[in-house]
Amino acid sequence: MTDPEGHSAAPPADLADLGPTLAEVDSDGALRETAADAFPLTRGELFRQSATAAAAGALGYFGAAWDDAEAAAAKTANDIAILRFDQVLEFLQAGLYTEAERLGALKPETLAWARVVGAHERAHLRAIERLLGPKKVKNPGFNYGNVTSDEQAFLKTAVAFEDLTAALLKWQAPRLDSRAIVAAAVSLHSVETRHAAWIRHLVGLQPATSAFDKPASQHKMAQLIDSTHFLVSQPKTAARKKPPYTG
Amino acid sequence: MTSRRALAGVALLAGAAVGVAAVAHHLATTPAAAHPDGFVAEATHLPPPQKPAFTVGRPRLLNRHETRARFAPVVRAIAARAAPVPAAGVVGSLTTRTPEQTTNIVLVIGERARPDGLWAHVRLPVLPNSLTGWVPRRALGGYRFVHTHLVVDRARLTATLYRDGRNIFNAPIGIGGSESPTPAGEFYIRDRLSGFGDPFYGPVAFGTSARSAVLTDWPGGGFIGIHGTNAPGLIPGRISHGCVRLRNRDILELARLMPVGTPVTIR
Repeated sequence: MTDPEGHSAAPPADLADLGPTLAEVDSDGALRETAADAFPLTRGELFRQSATAAAAGALGYFGAAWDDAEAAAAKTANDIAILRFDQVLEFLQAGLYTEAERLGALKPETLAWARVVGAHERAHLRAIERLLGPKKVKNPGFNYGNVTSDEQAFLKTAVAFEDLTAALLKWQAPRLDSRAIVAAAVSLHSVETRHAAWIRHLVGLQPATSAFDKPASQHKMAQLIDSTHFLVSQPKTAARKKPPYTG
Repeated sequence: MTSRRALAGVALLAGAAVGVAAVAHHLATTPAAAHPDGFVAEATHLPPPQKPAFTVGRPRLLNRHETRARFAPVVRAIAARAAPVPAAGVVGSLTTRTPEQTTNIVLVIGERARPDGLWAHVRLPVLPNSLTGWVPRRALGGYRFVHTHLVVDRARLTATLYRDGRNIFNAPIGIGGSESPTPAGEFYIRDRLSGFGDPFYGPVAFGTSARSAVLTDWPGGGFIGIHGTNAPGLIPGRISHGCVRLRNRDILELARLMPVGTPVTIR
């Protein structure tokens, strides 16, 4: 199996040994399915080895889940503003990774990353939307240009967004009024740092560059979003106008 | 010899006593928290954990079997070319607005990276019908994806909508007669009009990229629409000027299911 540029995507010899380990850390199975798809030769083996542990993992996932407390979470204007910003960021990231996966033009290992992380970001987006309820932001519309088709452009963009998202959540957490929202944000933050480390590893960058991370402000993230020109208005495809069609 | 042993014994005892005293002193001066029992005791006095305001649900991977088509708005007027090179012949031109003043969109059927940038292979809303061409990717806006596909069967006089390959809508239709036939080919839904208050077109009308090869001087360019009717008794039949007519309840149902950008096959 080779990617469009002829790079070999042969399965690593010890992939089969990853089954039980993956089941421990990948309770929803997203990573496991992607690994199996990326290395089809070992798919059956991988599933056999991890089937029991995966079932146990899934039970643990749901059993350990908290009852949602959104009804109890008092949302101040400050918290809503932060959450709305995060929702737009999740829209942007989920859209970027989902489009990359759908176009399928990147290397297999990059697509595998986009497949899993895209699913995570879509789940984050749904959770934030549910918490915001009627205060949620409408999808603003995005144009990723060639970034979702160009390997280097995609990697650079993904590293920038994942690094900065982790730093942004660190900046936002102490500014949130609700402890319940802080508790929820922390559960997102650690996942975003894993995304950042993973994509850095793919690119060949050090996953962890310092003992302590610095926060990055919403203003800085807004500047990054602005610099990409990803945010655009939605096309107007509906109108109240008499049809000029032939009839 | 005996006295040496006695001395050694005394020294050993003295050393042991000093050791025991040191341990006793250490235990007496070490904070309780450093003791294992202390950790447990402290942990039980911590406040209860804070319930998070939300929990993130199970991530859903994209369905690998989804059928998808993508479309994009035309963000700058551009000539479409026969090949993805600036010197290739022009096969059509794209404006940013439709005759209905909606955003002009194109169905994107491929991409190619070239030294001068990325090019998009698009389906064109021009005559001859089903024509495709290449435009620089930068002339288009963001991609949007749809999972639906409408098939108009001129022999059976039916319209069928598929979502991810599954039949989700079927209705009888009226199509063009022999003097102004509904053209066959591959097209897409360009826009959706409503609230126009003209019973002839029913409550909703979709604009397509298909054009009448006969009514070329029709206002707006002779585009083929898919719309309702004020004469449901004529459906099914070959009764239109090229448009695809549905009974009003059917066009309303189709409007609920079919997004703009949906590919249309007329066969």
